[in-house]
Amino acid sequence: MLTRRNLFKLGAVSGVTLLAIETFHASPEIPPAPDGLGHSFEILTPEDRGVLSKLTPVILAEALPESTEDRELAVKEVIVGWDIAVSGLPPLTQHEIRKLFSVLDSNFMLSLTPRLLTGVPGAWDDPSEIEFFLNTWRLSDPESLLTGNELRVGYMGMVEITMASWYANKRSWDFCGYAGPPVLY
Amino acid sequence: MSDKQNTIRDFIAEGFQQGWKHLDASRLTSDQTLEADVVIIGSGAGGGSSAEILAQSGLNVIIVEEGPLQTSRDFHMKEDEAYANLYQESAGRQTKDRGIKIFQGRMVGGGTGISWTTCFRTPSTTLKFWADEMGVKGFSENEMRPWFEWAEKRYNIQQWKVPPNANNSTLEIGCEKLGVSWGKISRNVTGCINLGYCGTGCPVNAKQSTLVTTIPGALEEGATLISKARAEKFEINNGKITELKCRAMTPRGNAPAVQTIKIKARHYVLAAGSIGSPAILLRSENKILNPNGLVGTRTFLHPVNISGAIMPFLVKGEYGAPQTSYSDHFIETRLDNQKPGFILECPPLQPMLMATALDGHGKFHAEIMRQRPFLQVLIALQRDGFHQESVGGNVYLKSDGTPGLDYPVSKYVWEGIRDAFIAMSEIQFAAGAKTVAPVHRDAGLYHNIKEVKKAIAVLPMETLKARLFSAHVMGGCPMGEDSAKSVVNSKGHHHEVENLSVFDGSVFPTSIAANPMESIFAATAKFATELAKNMVN
Repeated sequence: MLTRRNLFKLGAVSGVTLLAIETFHASPEIPPAPDGLGHSFEILTPEDRGVLSKLTPVILAEALPESTEDRELAVKEVIVGWDIAVSGLPPLTQHEIRKLFSVLDSNFMLSLTPRLLTGVPGAWDDPSEIEFFLNTWRLSDPESLLTGNELRVGYMGMVEITMASWYANKRSWDFCGYAGPPVLY
Repeated sequence: MSDKQNTIRDFIAEGFQQGWKHLDASRLTSDQTLEADVVIIGSGAGGGSSAEILAQSGLNVIIVEEGPLQTSRDFHMKEDEAYANLYQESAGRQTKDRGIKIFQGRMVGGGTGISWTTCFRTPSTTLKFWADEMGVKGFSENEMRPWFEWAEKRYNIQQWKVPPNANNSTLEIGCEKLGVSWGKISRNVTGCINLGYCGTGCPVNAKQSTLVTTIPGALEEGATLISKARAEKFEINNGKITELKCRAMTPRGNAPAVQTIKIKARHYVLAAGSIGSPAILLRSENKILNPNGLVGTRTFLHPVNISGAIMPFLVKGEYGAPQTSYSDHFIETRLDNQKPGFILECPPLQPMLMATALDGHGKFHAEIMRQRPFLQVLIALQRDGFHQESVGGNVYLKSDGTPGLDYPVSKYVWEGIRDAFIAMSEIQFAAGAKTVAPVHRDAGLYHNIKEVKKAIAVLPMETLKARLFSAHVMGGCPMGEDSAKSVVNSKGHHHEVENLSVFDGSVFPTSIAANPMESIFAATAKFATELAKNMVN
């Protein structure tokens, strides 16, 4: 039966047949992974971390510190927070997050199809393209014939874990006027 | 040793040091077989109350809990730590279509450990509906009164007399200005110092969760607590349960380990909550447990939508008892069910919870977070289950056997959600809000009531557009006297399997239409008292 979900899978499979075209298509360069501040990553690959290093500043925008140095440190900490959060999720949810990154990280076989279907940026170095991509996913139709609710759900997952990671971090608390937990004694 | 450990007495940790029986299953190195009179699956509102009552009657009780044993010294009021350790799926549990995010406790203490301490007796209109429409016996207001009184005494439920924080007082002021009725909430606390961090585990043992009351009460009588063990399924022979199969969880607790624990008992009590209890019955794959396919059906959520408002004064809703004021005006005025009713309350406003509840990113999101100390937030809980177009959701098993909940929101309920957006914004503007933001993908910030009402009228009420939440999972093993229409009878006993009972919120045949914790305390105390009497004789 040709359900929405199957159609999406079909789309991904037809990516293989498009491989010939793909070789002529410039693949988006996956940004290098920022250093992990001594954290040993359990879930996130260097590719995932490279992508997150570009997504995070667009998702958090003004909520990140102003100075370049503080900002870069904050992004690294957000990525470490991502890894810690995802490593505590149930195995099935971890699997879904892996699928999300496989679309985001794709710089080879799958890149053309997801980009055509999903608008994953062709270049990770252009914040305006990332903003466009995020909004495409944010506003995507949860009942889409081609992708079901996957883009909207993917957007919500990405943004939620990024927000959670940053606003759990003390460095964000000045920005949002939070004095932290009360000191008991 | 930190100062905190020196100054706050952690009498639960002390109890374990002095010999209460506890097995952390994640530390097992071999399979185990245990025996008891009664095994109780779950340690929350239902499991805790049942455990103490059964143990005090002299029965040998084992309590199985999937979550960790943590006590006040482990509760640091840190959101990331608490959501990861004390909630189902790191507080990321969602319905099948991802439309509703579900907050459920998973710890020794269950939902009572992370509850915001709001207590209501089951509304008399709900009890009457169960008797008139759902075939429930013995749940009239008069018959339940002694059990509410039991719960109020055992869990120290009292009206909260401390002045509300500004988040809650805004609800009061807005209602007052509009002539909308409102009231003060009763809370299950003793010596509460008004911190506001109920949702991350009470660090001062003020909250009277089952973790500090009835679970210790049962342990004091010789009960055994097993933590970090997932009850997988029942073995059935000749129409009776012969064994419960459990699996240890890994030390982190997010995945099953290899060691198993088999428990043989005279009687089995399911108290794993409205997703967990049906899941165990479904995993057992035995027709006798689910003869009419009703297990997991009629699961209710009180679906919640949210309205944020920027006030001209500091709110700082992260501090102070999180819920102290409410309005059931829109329940009381809608009992004819022409449109769904809803209750209005406030949530705590710690930054991580807030940041993840808003829709959007970038400048829009950052700007709201910058103004967070001025943010006032109302939530509306829909009264689901009282209309033929409000039948709740279905619990199902995912590919790895863990449970999910398929809860499509009906058109009827969506209209209640739209009305709730309007009601909340009216209260917020009446209380002086500068701007109001309905939490919806397509909504912005609105400056007056006319503007916001115009916007809400055309916002699509659709899944994944309006952001929905739930902290109350109810139903899934509905009770009633007609075995063709219910899973258990009005005493919580399974219709077909004589040594099985369900003593938790999954027996409710509708939502409660108020925060359900006290309803679970009272109903399960009633059930367990009768079971104890029967088992001892």
